[in-house]
Amino acid sequence: MRAIPLGKPSVIAIAAISVIGVLSFLWPFVAPADSFLVVNSSETPLLFALIIPLLLVTVISQISDGGLDAKAIALLGALAAVISVLRPLGAGLGGIEPIWVILILAGRAMGPGFGFLLGSISLLASALFTGGVGPWLPFQMLAAAWVGLGAGLLPKASGKRELMILSAYAAVACVAFGFIMNLWFWPFSLNLPEQIAFTPGASAGENLLAWIRFNLATSLGFDLPRAALTVILIAVIGSPILQLLRRASRKAAFDAPTVFIETQRIS
Amino acid sequence: MIIFESVSFRYTEQGPPVLRDLNLEIPAGELALLLGATGSGKTTFLRAINGLVPHFTGGYFTGRVSVDGRSTRVNQPRELADLVGFVPQDPVSGFVTDLVEDELAYSMECLGIDPPVMRRRVEEILDLLGLTELRNRPLHTLSGGQQQRVAIGSVLTAQPQVLVLDEPTSALDPGAAEEVLAALHRLVHDLGITVVLAEHRLERVMQYCDSILLLEDGSIRSGSPSELMQTSSIAPPVIHLGRLAGWDPLPISIRDARRAAPPLRALLANHSPRIQAVPTHSPRIVEIKKVHFSYGDKAVLRGVDLDLDAGEITALMGRNGAGKSTLLRTLVGLKTRSKGTIHVNGVDPNTLAAKDLLRHVGFVPQEPHDLFEALSVAAECKSSDSDAGCPPGTTRALLALMAPDVEDGTHPRDLSEGQQMLLALCLIVAAKPPLLLLDEPTRGLDYPTKKKLGEVLRGLANAGHSILMATHDVELVAELATRVVIMGDGEIVANGPTQSVITDSPMFAPQVSKVLAPERWITVEQIAHALSQELA
Amino acid sequence: MTPRWLHPGAWWLWSLCLAATASQTTNPLLLGLLICAAVIVVAARKPDAPWGKSFEFFLFLGAMIITIRVLFQIVFGAGLGTTVLFELPGISFPAWMSGLRLGGAVTLEALLGAFYDGLRIATIAIVIGAANSLASPTRLLKAVPTALYELGVSIVVALTFVPQLTSDAARIREMRKLRGRNSKGLKGFASLGLPILAGALDRSIILAESMDSRGYGRHQKETTLGRRVSVTLVLGSLSLALIGVYSLLTAGTTALVAIFIVFIGLMLGGVTLWRAGRTRIRTVYRPDIWALPEWLVSIAGIAVLGIFFTARTGGDQALILTPALDTWPSLPWWGILAFGIACTPAITTPPPPAFDIEISAPTSVEART
Repeated sequence: MRAIPLGKPSVIAIAAISVIGVLSFLWPFVAPADSFLVVNSSETPLLFALIIPLLLVTVISQISDGGLDAKAIALLGALAAVISVLRPLGAGLGGIEPIWVILILAGRAMGPGFGFLLGSISLLASALFTGGVGPWLPFQMLAAAWVGLGAGLLPKASGKRELMILSAYAAVACVAFGFIMNLWFWPFSLNLPEQIAFTPGASAGENLLAWIRFNLATSLGFDLPRAALTVILIAVIGSPILQLLRRASRKAAFDAPTVFIETQRIS
Repeated sequence: MIIFESVSFRYTEQGPPVLRDLNLEIPAGELALLLGATGSGKTTFLRAINGLVPHFTGGYFTGRVSVDGRSTRVNQPRELADLVGFVPQDPVSGFVTDLVEDELAYSMECLGIDPPVMRRRVEEILDLLGLTELRNRPLHTLSGGQQQRVAIGSVLTAQPQVLVLDEPTSALDPGAAEEVLAALHRLVHDLGITVVLAEHRLERVMQYCDSILLLEDGSIRSGSPSELMQTSSIAPPVIHLGRLAGWDPLPISIRDARRAAPPLRALLANHSPRIQAVPTHSPRIVEIKKVHFSYGDKAVLRGVDLDLDAGEITALMGRNGAGKSTLLRTLVGLKTRSKGTIHVNGVDPNTLAAKDLLRHVGFVPQEPHDLFEALSVAAECKSSDSDAGCPPGTTRALLALMAPDVEDGTHPRDLSEGQQMLLALCLIVAAKPPLLLLDEPTRGLDYPTKKKLGEVLRGLANAGHSILMATHDVELVAELATRVVIMGDGEIVANGPTQSVITDSPMFAPQVSKVLAPERWITVEQIAHALSQELA
Repeated sequence: MTPRWLHPGAWWLWSLCLAATASQTTNPLLLGLLICAAVIVVAARKPDAPWGKSFEFFLFLGAMIITIRVLFQIVFGAGLGTTVLFELPGISFPAWMSGLRLGGAVTLEALLGAFYDGLRIATIAIVIGAANSLASPTRLLKAVPTALYELGVSIVVALTFVPQLTSDAARIREMRKLRGRNSKGLKGFASLGLPILAGALDRSIILAESMDSRGYGRHQKETTLGRRVSVTLVLGSLSLALIGVYSLLTAGTTALVAIFIVFIGLMLGGVTLWRAGRTRIRTVYRPDIWALPEWLVSIAGIAVLGIFFTARTGGDQALILTPALDTWPSLPWWGILAFGIACTPAITTPPPPAFDIEISAPTSVEART
């Protein structure tokens, strides 16, 4: 079931912005010491915070040109609202947000294109609703879009096997999301204690170690419980949620053919 | 204006046809009323007018529908937006924005209308529908009638020539329904708009319509109201009365019926209405003494006293905001009274734990689907058995008795509104609560389903339940209730046998009573009974 | 002045300028003044709407940032300075963790440095929080370019659904009680969530139907050639951006050339959006006006940034504070001037209109009877 069809240009566009996105996250490990990004490493995150949203809207506009009908928009809006309501709930639990269940299962039920858009739109909507707009937003949108996209690309399966695959994916996705969300601003805090700081010019290995320590010190305490919560929720209510989503997509009749049968006009 | 030429439609290639070879024409400027039982294809018919069927739903479409010469074969619904305005059954679900003014402008924004023109039209519609005061209000704070008028206004700003409405008043109380119908009436008369509307509450709309479209099993008959009502199985009480009395031409409005009534009055002069047997000496179920409740500093209940006995069916009436819902909620422990005592079956509902509550008092909400959680009817019934602590299968057996045609695997939300109401009733009744509360049980139900529900409720009362229902449906009250309690401003202003309470007040009088006042006849059945005695 | 909504763009410009200003200095007095300006303006012009409440959260976030930053300094130890405050037991990890050390001597200078650094990031967060609570998100969506119409609508839909979902949640909680269940714990939360989700999905289909019949998605058909041009532009834009970013990453290329390539890529993206906007038929009802107050707010923001920028290029020492005991932060006259200018929106803007969301006194169930 594909609620939002992705044409070849859209696929290429998503691939291109993903590569730029990966670079925007991973440059501290690959860029040589004398490259522009490293030399200006405390401004680089802001540079990417400008580039990513502009390219992201170009890509979204390309996808929506290919066919974003009222049904897809309304479903996106409804699910983004559900996610926006769940996010503040998560803030009370110390950032352990239950939103990933919805994003992953919706990506699974409605296809990769829908997952990609839902990831970015839902984080934007919830940021607007709760007042959480800032330089972190473009990175969150892109990373969540990947999570949704990936869920849509998981291999075919059904029943228990499907839930197993989804749980495994959810665990990986939740931890990975936390880790890369640490990455975008990591070089920005220049005066961190040496052992957990980005050191311009140090080897990729050293920086990677420093970054892993930084993660252990900061977000792992949130990332693991979040992953655990998501896996538990998928195990407990994954199957009914998937059924509800599939029922909605059946009712929206994304795939149902519209046929006009010609008849002889009786005059 | 609207022309159907040999239109047939089925959702799947092999599936049963929903519409069969329809041919008809609705002239410009007419208000056409679409009638049909649940499942007769009304929804599909309405959606075929602007092309939602088949473009939105998918499916196999034969023939041609054209509106003002534009065919739905080549035009998507969005391309007909400036010609056909479509108002869905639940206006809240159709709202795109959250403020009244933005919602009114939304269609025009989509059509790319110039900002100065938009501004002018919004002002016009605000005046036309009496919404000026509400222009800056968030939509979810409006009452049902106001929301329905905003929904109508929001499609009117595109200046369509045709307005299609799916049950615009079935969820409204009489006052709000009157507002909406008066607005529609004005549109037809002042602007010459063609209106097609489907409606269950015929007693409200019959007098306004110019023609009737009667949909039965996918085929359609159209004609003038008095002609079609001769034989239609779906008809308001005044029509049944007219047919019984053999009036010709058949009167459609109360006013015409009153004029035709004198011979009937003479026939009935020596009879008195047969009254439903009121149980005596049955155990007391509910004792309410001096109950007060307030939201902040707004008093909603002020010293309510009420006793209810087993076997009674009590109707709780009164305008919106009179405190009906609050009283029901206080009885079931959802709200905590500020003063007074309540005993239900000997205990105070506020002291009961959730799992014990169900065995003392059951409450069926206005939107029955709020009670549903499971993914299928069977699962829903199973979880109800464990909630109620009764042997497995009890709820399912109960449902089979009330609604035999419901299938196990269906998703509860995919049931028709009547079936949803019966399922909700089963879930609650399974625990056999001595007191059964219902909030607007007939909202959105058609006549056959209402009749069915009435029989079920009477059966439950005879089995010893005491039933208290908040309702605006005077015809239901006339048929079913043994007692009527009227609330006003948080107090009980009338409390007595149905016959005397509802005939005393023009506001709550059923159609039969309006025709035959000041005599105290309230149902067609009473008159039929009296006439059969007269003939004998 | 009569109450009206200020153009959200003006608030965002003002706040982004203040954020850029904050990133230029580590002087705690200057940073403190920027925070004060944000607090004063928010206090004066915060609307009584759901998003208006977010500012407190950002203040809290700011405090958290500073705390965490200082804690890091203590735990990971090692820093400048000689004034030892106290000493933590040091732990050294084996070599395979490349000799990670924890604890050790904690110096006052190191803590001050951490505090200044944290304060800078906290200030950026707080001034951005000011825009979040001052600017109406729904009005911001009105200013979205036509090409992003679909994106805008889906967010409008989401914002419309949110209050409906919360009232659904309250109602369904009650109904669960009627069936003898409670909604506590993970299981309760899950089974409360399912009916809400089912309701939201059902409603979205009705909404789609209504949107379709009200003209959503009407746009002119593009010619095959036009389509090809669009696709080429999108892909061209992305490839240029990619090439540019890649060159920035590698040492060889001149930075200026690389930034130029990225810039051209972004411009092409802009052209795509403009072209996509042309095919969509859509107008805006009562768009927000950009009048004198909007100009004053934007100019205030730009002026503050300008003052700091001039000071920085002039090499003013007040901007950078070395964390040492003998250097006290100085408060230059231009800092006070900038503070005054940053505060002007509290007076020069019209107050926001009353947002009468509280009218919903009766429960939604009764409102819909």
